[in-house]
Amino acid sequence: MIPGSAAFELHGAGVVFSGRAALTEASLVVDPGEALALVGPSGAGKTTLLRLLNASQAPTSGSVCVDYERLDALSPEKLRAVRTRIGFVHQDLALIPNYRVLSNVIAGSLGRMGFVASVRTMLFPRRAAVERAAAILERVGIGEKLYQRTDSLSGGQRQRVALARALFQEPSALLLDEPVSSVDPARARDMVELVADISRERGITLVVSIHDIELARAYFPRLVGLRAGRVVFDGPTGSIAPRDLSALYSLEGLDRVEPARIP
Amino acid sequence: MSNPRASPDARRRPFPITPRIAVALSILVAGALAWMVLDAPFAKLVPQEGGLRVVRAFFARALTPALDYESPVPESTPHILMQALAAARRTLVFAAAGMSVALVLGIVLGFLSTTAWWAGDLVGGSSPLRRALARTVGPAVWSASRALIVLMRSVHELLWAVLFLAAFGLNTGGAVAAIAIPYGGTLAKIFSEMVEETPRDAALALRGAGAGPLQVFFFGLVPRAGPDLAAYAFYRFECAVRSAAVLGFFGFPTLGYAIAQSFENLHYGEVWTYLYALVVLVVTIELWSGALRRRFVA
Repeated sequence: MIPGSAAFELHGAGVVFSGRAALTEASLVVDPGEALALVGPSGAGKTTLLRLLNASQAPTSGSVCVDYERLDALSPEKLRAVRTRIGFVHQDLALIPNYRVLSNVIAGSLGRMGFVASVRTMLFPRRAAVERAAAILERVGIGEKLYQRTDSLSGGQRQRVALARALFQEPSALLLDEPVSSVDPARARDMVELVADISRERGITLVVSIHDIELARAYFPRLVGLRAGRVVFDGPTGSIAPRDLSALYSLEGLDRVEPARIP
Repeated sequence: MSNPRASPDARRRPFPITPRIAVALSILVAGALAWMVLDAPFAKLVPQEGGLRVVRAFFARALTPALDYESPVPESTPHILMQALAAARRTLVFAAAGMSVALVLGIVLGFLSTTAWWAGDLVGGSSPLRRALARTVGPAVWSASRALIVLMRSVHELLWAVLFLAAFGLNTGGAVAAIAIPYGGTLAKIFSEMVEETPRDAALALRGAGAGPLQVFFFGLVPRAGPDLAAYAFYRFECAVRSAAVLGFFGFPTLGYAIAQSFENLHYGEVWTYLYALVVLVVTIELWSGALRRRFVA
């Protein structure tokens, strides 16, 4: 196991939202330091799967393990500790628009401190914290934006702020939900490349949901295909037949794998 | 109604009664009823001859406020403008003291009366403790604080002042409490509503990064509602200044006290002097809060 990188395991995990199955019998093992892409059309369950991995969502059936510990067996404090180790970049970025970039980035570290310390850190950040935030922003390519208001940045720059917030957690895993949906194709490629590079540098586990098959093939050694809430393939990128990939997005047969309706 | 053919073809009715029209009509009817019950109040607004003289005398001084006392005063009395300034300062102090307590009440009760610190979607987890919090403790504290807020708000600050006057006499603390209680209740209500309406995506993201409920609330939700909260708090401060001035009518040494005294002595010029002092005070606060807002929010 690579130190400082997380392992994930799903065993027959299912998630049901008000009678509709979002994920059915999903099993997946992610080794420490691995990089993989979840591919599939929208609504296939990619986001739900990612939310299972950082304990934002509890499975209705089956189990989720992070670093070989079952999440449902953990106390709330342990659960928080697990979450602090996992950086999550949301599709809608989930930044606070009227914060300065610095505050949004530093907010990534709140989980590691008590309430009083967090008041101090958010209002009067220590120099070391500011320097670390600046270094991370530099690494993601927007070093000069440290003191700007977040809502004054472009969509691509805001996405990098969200990435910087996740990195400020010093995570052992990075989860990204559709990092290419909010930016144009050229920037999307840059972003995916950046995330892949950073994860490799830091030796952290990377799981990215992405609907763009070409990008997924170009940057990830392993692909997991999801369709209608089920894992339909999982393997090294080279071993997956183009036929499987195109089947992922075809409308044919969707009725057969239509998620089970719970009465 | 009268025409049975109309019902399957309601869209062609000349005057369809939509819910919106029904609401507008019922408001009109309620207004008309109120006028009838009160027996056409405007008819009695024609002043008596004596009253008319007072009104004329009062407004005659609107453009010529007194720059000196209108009757002899003891030699040690400060100049009327200094008097107005001092009364304005005391008005401001009463308002600020009341608002500072009201802000603390508003933030604490505002926090307790949101669902954000106990509702499942933001707090998460499924330990027995968390379940108990979400099922019993949270809703109980939430309802209790809501009830307290209603109680605080439903009694007007002037009524609180009368109550405290009866209980403690002419006590500064009573005046401050009279402002702090209803204002605290109103701030709490508005604060909690603003926080509940704030988009929760950032708060959920912080929770996903391991932040606790208090951190999620104060760094994920409140800052986002911050500009609105601040703007509303400033508006309430302005209201508090006017309330503090009016409390003077009960004998507290604010602008209202000076106004009441001059009015009783029929010194309308002095009344205008003090009224203008109040206007200047309110406008100054407005300019100040506007400048702060531009500095921090825009």
